[in-house]
Amino acid sequence: MTPNRNADRPRIDAHEKVLGRALYAADQPFPGLLHAMTVPATIAKGRILSIDTAAALQVPGVVRVFTHDDFSQIRTTPAARGAYGQPGKGHQPMTAPQVRHRGEPVALVVAETLEAAVEGAEAVTVRYAEESFSARMDDDLAGPEPEAAGQLASGDAEAAFANAAHIVDVEYRHPQQHHNPIELISTTAAFEDGTLRIYEGTQSAAAFAGGLAGMMGMEPQALRGVSPYTGGGFGQKNGVQEQSVLVASAALLLRRPVKLVMPRGQLFHTASYRPQSRHRVRLAADGNGRLLAGIYETVQQNSRYDGFGSDHGANPPRMYGYGAWRGSERIVRVDTQTPGHQRAPHEHPASHATECALDELAGALGMDPVALRLANDTQRDPITGKPFSSRHLADCLRRGAARFGWERWTNQPGALVAGNGDRIGLGVACGSYKAAMTPSVTTLRLSAGGQCRIATSGHEMGQGLRTVIAAELIDVLGVDPGKLDIRIGDTGHAPQHLTAGSWGAGSAAPAARAAALKLREELSQLTGAVLSDEPVHVQLARTRRPYLEVSVDTVPLGKDRQAIEQLRRGMPVTTGPEYPDFLAFSWIAHFAEVHVEPSTGRVRVRRVVSVADCGRVMNRRTAESQVRGGVVWGIGAALREAGECDPRFGGVLNNDLADYVVPVNADVGAIEVDFIDEPDTRLNLSGVKGLGEVAMVGAAAAIVNAVHNATGRRIRHLPIRIEDLL
Amino acid sequence: MPDPQDRQPFDLTRRQVLETGTIASLTGAMLPTAGLAQQAGPQPSPENGMTVHLSFRVNGRPTALDIDARASLLDLLRERLGLVGAKKGCDHGQCGACTVHMDNRRVASCLTMAAKADGRDVTTIEGIARANGLHPMQQAFIDHDALQCGYCTPGQIMAAIACVKEGHASTPEQIKEYMSGNICRCGAYVGIVAAIEQAAPQIERS
Ligand code: FES
Ligand code: FES
Repeated sequence: MTPNRNADRPRIDAHEKVLGRALYAADQPFPGLLHAMTVPATIAKGRILSIDTAAALQVPGVVRVFTHDDFSQIRTTPAARGAYGQPGKGHQPMTAPQVRHRGEPVALVVAETLEAAVEGAEAVTVRYAEESFSARMDDDLAGPEPEAAGQLASGDAEAAFANAAHIVDVEYRHPQQHHNPIELISTTAAFEDGTLRIYEGTQSAAAFAGGLAGMMGMEPQALRGVSPYTGGGFGQKNGVQEQSVLVASAALLLRRPVKLVMPRGQLFHTASYRPQSRHRVRLAADGNGRLLAGIYETVQQNSRYDGFGSDHGANPPRMYGYGAWRGSERIVRVDTQTPGHQRAPHEHPASHATECALDELAGALGMDPVALRLANDTQRDPITGKPFSSRHLADCLRRGAARFGWERWTNQPGALVAGNGDRIGLGVACGSYKAAMTPSVTTLRLSAGGQCRIATSGHEMGQGLRTVIAAELIDVLGVDPGKLDIRIGDTGHAPQHLTAGSWGAGSAAPAARAAALKLREELSQLTGAVLSDEPVHVQLARTRRPYLEVSVDTVPLGKDRQAIEQLRRGMPVTTGPEYPDFLAFSWIAHFAEVHVEPSTGRVRVRRVVSVADCGRVMNRRTAESQVRGGVVWGIGAALREAGECDPRFGGVLNNDLADYVVPVNADVGAIEVDFIDEPDTRLNLSGVKGLGEVAMVGAAAAIVNAVHNATGRRIRHLPIRIEDLL
Repeated sequence: MPDPQDRQPFDLTRRQVLETGTIASLTGAMLPTAGLAQQAGPQPSPENGMTVHLSFRVNGRPTALDIDARASLLDLLRERLGLVGAKKGCDHGQCGACTVHMDNRRVASCLTMAAKADGRDVTTIEGIARANGLHPMQQAFIDHDALQCGYCTPGQIMAAIACVKEGHASTPEQIKEYMSGNICRCGAYVGIVAAIEQAAPQIERS
């Protein structure tokens, strides 16, 4: 069966969501639920001398105050926050009288009501012995590490620079950023059917079964991770959080369900964030704009203990046909909580630096930046020499330029002026993101009455994974969308993978499609004939069977059955971008129009046109929303967002949504989205490559380039603020 | 807004509620469209410290209880009445996820003391669907895919209905301005504006 390429349906879970009936982790009702509140550390580094809980225990309703004395048996394992799967790394607060970053929990107050827990937490007093620290990568005490091994390189980049007609050598800086999904990170631990169930809005329910079990010395089967709806993740919810094991342990010790909703102010200090980074970009071109070489060196902030590496160098050499390349990455250790993946984790900062540098090169060459990109298009990866599975980036550029009206662009900054005197700037930038996949375990059951139930691996966090799964079931089986029951994000239904890195659709769609095709095949064996156009359940009913069920394990390209075993054990297994015969990426071109008010320097993003090559578009309506969301994140990164670290105290000063400014409705103009929609069936059965991450890559750079086009000011840090343009 | 005389005094004490479980069954029954209504939560834990007596209407149904004087309207709805549609996104009045209507005006329920609801009419996302189906704003949000994760959505829809009733939905620019108290981190803003434009003519100005 050829996959349908024109699906455009309402989001499958939109009905639940507009009714307010979708239950998120903190919405689950439990009899006898206790409420918890954390006491955050008020120092950045040091030892806890004493914790006085007497006043807290006097607060009516307070049931118990936990400290490190109660939790010393919790193990720090590769699943702990910040370990990123590496043994010996990570940090679990409250297992010792030690503070490694500001704001980490030092006590947990549990009470009959939330109000009592909050008052109890405020009544706890802690004495510390402070130690010196550094919370910023530019501070004296920060710990730079030597260059990481395994840097991408091809040819002799330095030599190419000697012969270049045009060179740019620039440094771009990227700030610390915080994900801030609107769903606060919360943990609820409750007992059901003899298991400890952990409800947490997460991208990795398996971390709550396997990971927490390891930390608590329990059998993995004794825990179940449940997260059917996640209220936005963006990478911040991709594992066990600092408070997760504390809440689970508290519930076990108290033998009652416990819920903790982390206050947003604390999450700026306990949850992950996008680390600060510096990017030196050197590009060399000949007189015709051929890219002879690139040298790309980055430095990224990390915590003292984490396993989160820098990966800025992975994508830029794949964007264009560089003659030679050399990459270099280093990290600098500081005393904060561990940073982590935030939407397009390294691809976004890297695209900011390299796509803006390319714009500078176009300026030096006196060349149209779209033409410069088209002139350096390539169908082969310059590093490995392998072909791309599919790359329609040039089409994205051409189609986007036509729709955007790129012919209005001139290389004279400020040449376009709006009726009200605003300077109009036009900018372009491109992006890519690896097309990755992970194994899935799927059970699909069709009932003679028409109900269709699928249990599979993956999490719904707004990207539309349920809608993608539904699209394949509808495409192959013609089932009624209203009769679909899609069970994901729950280790009680199927083994769960970490859903991140844009591998959700590339894994769940082929899994659903394979299961649906297998079901068709078995049904046709049952009926003894080729299936007709009649609804499948009607054909099933005729066999007098109440239901038909199939199970399918899907192993991604380049992996073997072992991957399924790893998935069952809750261990992440992913592929991409390099496969045996090719490299696979999604691609995107963004065009931005900004209006800059000359007297105030205020920048408005009036219009963005984005054209993506994500393989097959699984459902147009939700895919467009995905891209719009990525562009909104680009607007936030370009003009709004930065976590302001206070070097004296080691905390984030603007730790709430009034001061950490994210785009609101009035900040967002028109965002027009189009797709190439060419299925990449060499990659998987569904022909899908992934969209959520690539949507953001290059979006900020297009805006920054547009600001330059409007003002002639080349701002090499994010965000661009009014003071930069005055 | 209903005449205060229409309000039925509802004199059920906290103790009675706990003894009989009345709150739970009441909450289930109080919703205008039972079929679409959220299941009521279990009995909340006993209150501690100073309590205040509240008598108010939620989604048209009279409700009375004694509640911790420190509680917010959001925590009253979510933790006591099992109405979990309104969401907590910041607890500081900065995100709009907790938006509900009080006497037909939008309020951030996290910034509203529960005690302030006494004698008022509170409407939540659970109370707006019409007997014959969705509220036009809910349908418009589906049609324009004005949501992704859905977490901000109940607050967006309650704010959107208020935005139209206030007369602040006459142009896209005006809608954007008056909807800027509701953050959507998924970035569904373009769809939200389109949804409000679609639903506005079907909603009466107040
Ligand atoms: S939770 Fe009330 S405004 Fe954010
Ligand atoms: S839909 Fe996710 S925050 Fe708005």
